[in-house]
Amino acid sequence: MTYKVQINETVRDATPEEAAAIDAAHAEAEARAQAAADKAAAAASGRAKLVKLGLTDDEISALLGA
Amino acid sequence: MGANAQTSVPVFASGEVLTAANQNLSAGTGVPVFATTVTRDAAFGGAGEKVLAEGQLAYIEATDVVQYYDGAVWATVGPATAGALVLVSATTIGNGVSTHTVNPAFSSTYDNYLITISGGVASGSVDLSLQLGATTTGYYAGYSRVNYATGSASAASNNNAASFTAIGVGTTNSLHAFVNVLSPNLAKNTNINGGYGITLAGSSSSVFAGFLNDSTQYTAFTIAPSSGTLTGGTVRLYGYANS
Repeated sequence: MTYKVQINETVRDATPEEAAAIDAAHAEAEARAQAAADKAAAAASGRAKLVKLGLTDDEISALLGA
Repeated sequence: MGANAQTSVPVFASGEVLTAANQNLSAGTGVPVFATTVTRDAAFGGAGEKVLAEGQLAYIEATDVVQYYDGAVWATVGPATAGALVLVSATTIGNGVSTHTVNPAFSSTYDNYLITISGGVASGSVDLSLQLGATTTGYYAGYSRVNYATGSASAASNNNAASFTAIGVGTTNSLHAFVNVLSPNLAKNTNINGGYGITLAGSSSSVFAGFLNDSTQYTAFTIAPSSGTLTGGTVRLYGYANS
């Protein structure tokens, strides 16, 4: 994929090395986003299980601090 | 008192002879130059002197300023006193760029800086990252977020990352960043802090702080979206005056 990079007011096509760095940064960001989504899903699942055990939302929030 | 300084502003009566000395005094100074505000005030209104009136200009040697008289008091035209926050650069983000570098940015003039990003759009919902120079390791930061809808908190971090990964936010509506960068050009660790509200309903606010674990004296920085591209908007860099 062709990327454009900008230095001050000058825009040019990325070099192969710069393009590889951008690809790597995007892949890392995607992995971070997926990890955050997985963490949020796990938290939601855990909260649902606590509800099934009879805890109220207020009790769960007080317990978890969130 | 300098060579241009004068002690009177002459006025001529009808039929009076204009001497070379008089002409030199008038033409040689342009804006009358005075050693101090005291000699300025003494130069008007006396015998053979111009009556002080609105619009009069003067230069004061003692303080190196140009002043004007508004009819009641003297006010300073300039030079303007440098503010505590000084704009160093303002660059417009190009069309569909994946990275935006400002170089030169940091220098020994200021110890601490502020970066703001406003206007423009991203091609999607993205985090904005900050990289100093060409360094791609040693970035440490904590991000505390509060969800607008639920009030619940969440956290994220950079632990020896390749950049500060979320110092701003971009959507198809706007770009936003507000980042203090402390000591980037000193031979010290660089420290950052800032915050923003993610501009999407149901999303979160974010505050963050962190540091870059090296002593490199940085002169440049790069902003990049976590995916896609940026278009438009302005990256402004301000220096905090050292004194």
